[in-house]
Amino acid sequence: MLLENMSMAIHAIKANKMRSFLTMLGIIIGIGSVIAIVSIGDTMRFMVSDIYKNAGVTLAYVYVWPKDGGDMRESDYFTLDEMDRLKEVFGDEISYIDSNASTNAEAVFGRNKVKYQFEGIFSNYPEVQKINIIYGRNLNEADIKGRKNNVVLEAKGAKELFGTENAVGKTFRTTIYGTTDDYNVVGIYKEDLNPFEAMMAGTNATRSGYVPDSLLTWPNDNIYGLRLYAKEGTDMNAFSDTFTSYLAKTKNRNKEDVTFYSVSSEMGSADTIMGGLSAAVGGIAAISLLVGGIGIMNIMLVSVTERTREIGIRKALGAKTRDVLIQFLTESAILSALGGILGVAVGGGLVLLGGTLFHMKVVIKPSVILVAVGFSALVGLFFGIYPASKAAKADPIDALRYE
Amino acid sequence: MWKKKDKLPACVTENVREDLIKLVDVVKVYDTGSIKVLGLKRVNLTIKRGEFVAIMGQSGSGKSTLMNILGCLDRPTMGHFYLDGIDTAELSADELSAIRNRKIGFVFQSFNLIARTSALKNVELPMTYAHISKKTREERALMLLERVGLGKRYEHMPNELSGGQRQRVAIARALANEPPLIMADEPTGNLDTASSVEIMELFSQLHREGATVVLVTHEENIAAFAGRIIRFRDGQLVSDLPNVPQSQGQEETAKTEKEGAPC
Ligand SMILES: Nc1ncnc2c1ncn2[C@@H]1O[C@H](COP(=O)(O)OP(=O)(O)OP(=O)(O)O)[C@@H](O)[C@H]1O
Ligand SMILES: [Mg+2]
Repeated sequence: MLLENMSMAIHAIKANKMRSFLTMLGIIIGIGSVIAIVSIGDTMRFMVSDIYKNAGVTLAYVYVWPKDGGDMRESDYFTLDEMDRLKEVFGDEISYIDSNASTNAEAVFGRNKVKYQFEGIFSNYPEVQKINIIYGRNLNEADIKGRKNNVVLEAKGAKELFGTENAVGKTFRTTIYGTTDDYNVVGIYKEDLNPFEAMMAGTNATRSGYVPDSLLTWPNDNIYGLRLYAKEGTDMNAFSDTFTSYLAKTKNRNKEDVTFYSVSSEMGSADTIMGGLSAAVGGIAAISLLVGGIGIMNIMLVSVTERTREIGIRKALGAKTRDVLIQFLTESAILSALGGILGVAVGGGLVLLGGTLFHMKVVIKPSVILVAVGFSALVGLFFGIYPASKAAKADPIDALRYE
Repeated sequence: MWKKKDKLPACVTENVREDLIKLVDVVKVYDTGSIKVLGLKRVNLTIKRGEFVAIMGQSGSGKSTLMNILGCLDRPTMGHFYLDGIDTAELSADELSAIRNRKIGFVFQSFNLIARTSALKNVELPMTYAHISKKTREERALMLLERVGLGKRYEHMPNELSGGQRQRVAIARALANEPPLIMADEPTGNLDTASSVEIMELFSQLHREGATVVLVTHEENIAAFAGRIIRFRDGQLVSDLPNVPQSQGQEETAKTEKEGAPC
């Protein structure tokens, strides 16, 4: 009987193709825009989380900083020994730790001057963050231990400074912490940025490079903060808690004075923004589906009036109130769901088109499609109740006499 | 469901099932707000199984009102109508639907086929509401279309068929659930003479096969096919006479009998 009702409904919708299409338009536009906006949101969310994944969700920064605004104590700083000890104590959780030191400096080669931000790393940094070396080598243990003036430069900057990407073996001059010295290029790497990162970095004239961490902590090795990567699969919340407690104890500070800032908390705030966007989308969806639903109710009322005689015939032949009710409910639900499907096609098509135009990998979740189509069917069902009950209540004699 | 029956005199309730239709003091009042119109005034009528009855009368005499009550589309304002022993006054709208579905086959003056729906689907419709399986429905609908001479036209839409053909589809549809009662309100009213005779032959044949047929007509030559002619005037039954059926086949036999008679 359900199948019978569905085929009857499709029959009726087909009989008035243009009118059915115009009726569905409200739903098509509503669902289409929802699919488009949700997919754009999901695409952005995916990109953001992709960036964080590159940055490592296991990344955290740690400072000891009196919350009440009091003075820093000597003991609030970290030392190289302390870093080693922390790595030992939290050997199960920490895979990499350094001073989080970086400095801005102008590199000079002949007449060329390029602004650089040099980041201090240890030799095992590539284990947690990929450095795509295209010429030469990474910084090694000897560079770090010997506090050697060896650097690894990003290819674009190297080209600007030396006129060639392969600048391995070349030397430039720069000033770090007030001391001017010559630095040797031992390696060149290439940054692979996703389109979003490239967009953000587009106007940035500062180039990047890596130097031994020990160069930047020199001469007193008073380290302000720590950058650490936890091992994959570490529960960052639990780790943050134990690590903070441990530091508070050893530094003789309150737990609140220890800041443990991890990327997962940043991702949370990105999700909040997306959440706000989703709420706005929900609003648009509600309004457009309301309008679409009223359109469907309107046309179903017209259809019921037009088909009064048909209703009379059906009743005379034995259709019960329920049979007629279900027939018209099925029709409005299918009409609306069809609008939903077309809306998904339109919205999804637009997003895919945008994706190809901007060379971006777009995300269209199947669950979103299912919810959209299901919801539009529900809208049809809801707005079909009044017309369908009007049809179902018709008196067979009056209906048969209707011209 | 049977409460009221107990209060009725025995003469009314006995043998109720032998009579397919029994009207007892049936009154129908149309309340149009300003005035009340009497559609039927105390009608008493019994139709037995297997009868072929024609109902005649001037326009406005109450024929359609009676048909609506007999067809369980409407209920009497007063009095009782027993269909196959069931008092319809006691039934809900959905129960009446079920009775129409199983016990009554309708044939209308204006055919009343469902538009843009094939002959086959139209014939299937009463079976659909009887929840008969698709396969059985289709087989039976095809068989019925065959029987009314439209076996090859089952895919045709109503607007692709002539008036006579449409009425034959309607008759096939009326037979779908093998109802004991066939009701026809001016079934030949929209047809030419040739088609009218064809349709009436079909009704005669159904009657010979055991169906009870009640039909309304204005034309004496159509009423002549029936075995009993009832006349109405101003909502009242004014005459109820038996008739020698005038189906073509029987006309011929009657002729040969006459010719063969010695004097
Ligand atoms: N729905 C209605 N509301 C008010 N009055 C009605 C209604 N239906 C019928 N009547 C009245 O009841 C009386 C009988 O009508 P009915 O339709 O039964 O006549 P009929 O014999 O079928 O006529 P016709 O041959 O023209 O079809 C008429 O006076 C008519 O005006
Ligand atoms: Mg009439």
